[in-house]
Amino acid sequence: MAAFYVSMRLRFVTGFAYLSFLIFPVIVAAIGLFVLDHPGTTATQWTYGVLGGGLVGYWGVTYIDAGNGIQLERWNGTLEQVFAVPTPLWVIVLGKALGGLVWGMLSFIPTIALGYIGFHALVPNVDAGHFAVSFSVLTFSFLAVALSLSPVFAMWRWAFSMVNGFEFGTYVFCGLMFPITVLPGWGQVIAAMLAPTWAVRALYASTTSEGPHDYAAWWALSIALSVVYIVASLFLYRFVDRRARVTGQLALV
Amino acid sequence: MSAIEVRDLRKKYVTHRGTFRRTRTENVALGGIDLTIQPGELFGLLGPNGAGKTTTVKILTTLLLPDSGSASVLGLDVVRQTSAVRRRIGFVFGGERGLYWRLSGLDNLRYFADLYGIPPDVSRRRIADLLEKLGLAGRERDKVEQYSRGMKQRLHLARGLLNDPEVLFLDEPTIGLDPVGARELRTLIRGLADAGKTIFLTTHYMFEADAICDRIAVIKKGSIVAQGTPASIKALVDEVGVVEFEAVGVPDERLQALRKLGGVSSVSVAEDELSQRITVRCARPADVMTQLGIIFEGVELRRINSRDPTLEDAYVQLIGDES
Repeated sequence: MAAFYVSMRLRFVTGFAYLSFLIFPVIVAAIGLFVLDHPGTTATQWTYGVLGGGLVGYWGVTYIDAGNGIQLERWNGTLEQVFAVPTPLWVIVLGKALGGLVWGMLSFIPTIALGYIGFHALVPNVDAGHFAVSFSVLTFSFLAVALSLSPVFAMWRWAFSMVNGFEFGTYVFCGLMFPITVLPGWGQVIAAMLAPTWAVRALYASTTSEGPHDYAAWWALSIALSVVYIVASLFLYRFVDRRARVTGQLALV
Repeated sequence: MSAIEVRDLRKKYVTHRGTFRRTRTENVALGGIDLTIQPGELFGLLGPNGAGKTTTVKILTTLLLPDSGSASVLGLDVVRQTSAVRRRIGFVFGGERGLYWRLSGLDNLRYFADLYGIPPDVSRRRIADLLEKLGLAGRERDKVEQYSRGMKQRLHLARGLLNDPEVLFLDEPTIGLDPVGARELRTLIRGLADAGKTIFLTTHYMFEADAICDRIAVIKKGSIVAQGTPASIKALVDEVGVVEFEAVGVPDERLQALRKLGGVSSVSVAEDELSQRITVRCARPADVMTQLGIIFEGVELRRINSRDPTLEDAYVQLIGDES
């Protein structure tokens, strides 16, 4: 709870935070909606514009808070203090991730408002029940990915230098703003291994009546992959713990 | 049972340089140290920068793993019983970092109280009590970035005391503080020890160790070179006297000649804007004072005096300083 609260508070007092949950998603949504704003755009396509920006913000904030969870503590000079408490590090990062998720949900407000007010774009065929479950599964998958990336970024600087690559890569390969069917074959293979891909697919499917919807399979795949990431991350956190205590680099930026 | 027990503790840091042809360098931080600290003791670890003080503290606070040897705090092994150790100790590394600057002092304390698993009603009372005792009451809702250096250090101490630790580790707690702030903090630290806490303090300020520590160990290049009460360490240099004087523009060759005098164990020079303050540690101060006029002929000498050795002199003798 404390990490959740601190994550929320630190975002609230930081002007830069508004960039990630408000401005950036609106820009992305606006670009998408402008591209889609021509005769012949289907309701399904409009949905990508309306929801896509919000998903970008939702993922971005969660990723920054949790994915950078350990590295941010290091930059702040608090990593040693946080490391040496009885609470395990992964629990602390989990709290940060939950804070990021709550904050990130706010991204949907401006992007949906932009879609409706600026482009009269609606999502008329929402199946509320499936949408809610898909959104919950998506949230769980974001959490799993962010938790597993946090120790990677902390331990390997080469990975951290690719932080934007991981963030934007998720937009593309998980189909946040366009269906992954437009990706080449190898891209779709990568997409299939990512837990959020299946949840996003279910989410968009719940906004349209077109096509077969195999919610159970998509949810199961997303949850199963998320669990694999979480289990892997627990081993990574132990590795981080051990390596940090051997090298003594907790205080180093 | 000892509060802290260290046996043959060793630690080296390995660094790599180069991208394609990597060279490996080993730096021995601890070369096998032994320490025993009793409950309720205020123990000081003295040494110059890079001697191994912080490495020792970090091993004892579970932030570092030793390469070999053993270390236990309150009977708990710092390598294998990490969680149990962390629940019962506090530590203060101090400095400008280690706090969330954009949060208030109160938020910082609440956060760490939660991480230590302190129940909310207990943490509320304890935080209020600590803020009062450490002179932060009334400023707890201000952001840490608005605090003075001394206030940040006291907030660090408050954070280190949140879980009411039985053993408190302080790594150079007064560094960077003004003399008044440092004295206030030392008084607080002494008060904690008098209240029964075991305190392990590292410092390179000799007067600080002399003033508040029950026992001291001097560490040099990863090895303990002396251990005991301040009085017993000073007694190591009982046969050493000290001659001090000021001079203006002393050439190096004159200082070398002074160093070569019989009975002189060390010569240290402190420069200020106008003059040099030279401290000579020697067996026979009277002989040295007699020779000063010969060695420094033509050089203006002022404030020549002889005194008994202090802990600092013992420290210099043990560490070796010929600057």
